[in-house]
Amino acid sequence: MEYQIWTEKYRPQSLNEIINQKHVVERLKAFVEKKTVPHMLFAGPPGTGKTASAIAIAKDLFGKNWHDNFQETNASDARGIDVVRTRIKEFARIKPFDTPFKIVFLDESDALTSPAQHALRRTIEKHSTVCRFILSCNYSSKIISPLQSRCVVFRFTNLSKEDVFAYLDKIIKGEKLNVDKSALESIYELSEGDLRKATNILQTASSVGDKITDDIIYEVASQAKPKDVLEMMNFALQGEFKAARKKLHDMVIKQGLAGQDIIKACHSQIFDLNIPDEKKIQMINQIGEYDFRISEGGDPLIQLEAMLSQFILNK
Amino acid sequence: MIWTKKYSPKKVSEVVGQNKPVEQFTLWYQNWKPGKKAALFTGPPGVGKTCLAEALATENNLEVIELNASDYRTSLQIKEVIGQSMKQRSLFKRGKIFLIDEIDGISGREDRGGPGEIIKIIEESKFPIILTANDKWNIKLSKLKTHCQLIDFGKINFWGMIKRLEEICQRENVKCSKDILKQLAKRSEGDLRSAINDLDTLSKGKSEILIKDMESLGNRERDENVFDSLKIIFKTSSPVAARMSIKNVSKPPDEIFWWIEQNIANEYEKPEEIAKAYEMLSRADIFRGRISIMQDWTFLKYMIDLMTGGVAISKKEMYKKFSKYEYPDRIKYFGMTKFKRAKEKQQLLKLSEELHCSARKIRTEFLPYFSLEKLSGNEFKI
Repeated sequence: MEYQIWTEKYRPQSLNEIINQKHVVERLKAFVEKKTVPHMLFAGPPGTGKTASAIAIAKDLFGKNWHDNFQETNASDARGIDVVRTRIKEFARIKPFDTPFKIVFLDESDALTSPAQHALRRTIEKHSTVCRFILSCNYSSKIISPLQSRCVVFRFTNLSKEDVFAYLDKIIKGEKLNVDKSALESIYELSEGDLRKATNILQTASSVGDKITDDIIYEVASQAKPKDVLEMMNFALQGEFKAARKKLHDMVIKQGLAGQDIIKACHSQIFDLNIPDEKKIQMINQIGEYDFRISEGGDPLIQLEAMLSQFILNK
Repeated sequence: MIWTKKYSPKKVSEVVGQNKPVEQFTLWYQNWKPGKKAALFTGPPGVGKTCLAEALATENNLEVIELNASDYRTSLQIKEVIGQSMKQRSLFKRGKIFLIDEIDGISGREDRGGPGEIIKIIEESKFPIILTANDKWNIKLSKLKTHCQLIDFGKINFWGMIKRLEEICQRENVKCSKDILKQLAKRSEGDLRSAINDLDTLSKGKSEILIKDMESLGNRERDENVFDSLKIIFKTSSPVAARMSIKNVSKPPDEIFWWIEQNIANEYEKPEEIAKAYEMLSRADIFRGRISIMQDWTFLKYMIDLMTGGVAISKKEMYKKFSKYEYPDRIKYFGMTKFKRAKEKQQLLKLSEELHCSARKIRTEFLPYFSLEKLSGNEFKI
């Protein structure tokens, strides 16, 4: 089976291949050696190796049977904690295959609400004899403290330029690519140390031309930027509420984007807008308010519309 | 015999004030053969939907198999009843028509695939089927509509109604002034059945109806149209009037919410007004969230007051214009794109296993670079 998406094709197959995160990897290797693993919480920015480490430790521990003893669940997709619990229960019912325990990897655990996390606490205790849990999250502060206290917390740090280059180098050699030095620099800057993003940019750029230049990288990156979001904000700032609202409806209703991802994109693109800095700060304050309302249980569509209606006042 | 029965039309041509529906329906019936679409009559109560179907049956000596959808909880039960009589030939070798009344009253949640069953019945039926519904915009009908010829009935015209009431008075030998008939027609709001019922009640044991008799008639709680309620919310400056306006609308508050949302920018023009109205909806929505998180309906009153009264007072003064109010995008497109989104979600969930990240992350991290077809198709065989 050959992976064609490079993030999978070049995924680390063992802890030895994890890029940097030395302090984490060292201790994980010690667990593998002793064949004991505690419950763990992997916290850190996206694309720094949390999922990769979880899979790598499973492969190192279980060898070729790793698939039977490893279950991956995305908290943000599973509809509610009950789905998560049922999945875990079913997985835990079957005895570990040729090993003392199995591993449950709960990706994006910070997507779980706090009642759901409390429910998860019970699940972890109940299945502790058979399963070890690895939770991953971007911010450990979003994980309730009773859960944190049951886990050994590992912090994944931002990757440096050298780290990103080291990883990209593997791909460049593997795919026999011709990449300019300045293009590499640009990939690093655009990715901000996120290896998934860096890899996706590189793969998309490689399909544009034989020689990958700085210009190609920027073109790929700018095409990937959510243009709809920028257009929507510009409509609102010109006082065209209906047009802005329509853009929003396209994204939420037709494309199915999550409200909080749109809010995130609004925030990250504020500084691309052609308006005075004071207004930018004012808008950030407004964005933050509606982000909060959504997290309080507000409907993303109506809250984003309310946000846009505030933007038209900034005209 | 009650008058609504006694004076119900016996021939299609006797149906009052519905020229266009009558014409459409006659054409539909003449061209009907098995496999063709059913007829879906939509319109407010008492305007002649059931009457037209029955008149056709009487005129053509057809047996009417009548079912009231609100009496049967699920479409499966309807299927059973229809299925049985479908097999039996009519007693005297007459033809049959099926009349399923109040199809929008069929319970939505308990019978998943509900409209699916009805659609099957339509496709397999050897006899013409007529469905009736009050609200042609009802979401429950959206799937069904593609299998039906839509025939929309309007309210009965004021003078047409008076003429019909006069005829009845004449035949019953009851004296009744034009003024009283006008009042009866007015309070019926286009509902002929209720007007005939009122006339019937007033004339019991009398040969003349007097103005003072009118007082004995109680007011009917009308199922108000959501458009009427929008008009009040957007035009009034009184929060109480705005709040009252949704009382008799048959839609639940969280659906009315989206009707209001859709039309704020159609009515209000000043940015401050739009912003203020949306702020009210945003606050109303927070209370909606609290209701659903805490399962505590005591918060409902705040949600309703904010979304009606709050939006009403967001304008500086009333706009003296006619605004065309629209059907909410949110409800329209969610229905339309449901299937597409479900399929996409399925693809994303499959990919999420292969790429070791959530469907949501695939949207934000992979889809900007690779299309969904590319990711799940052969081009990138995983």
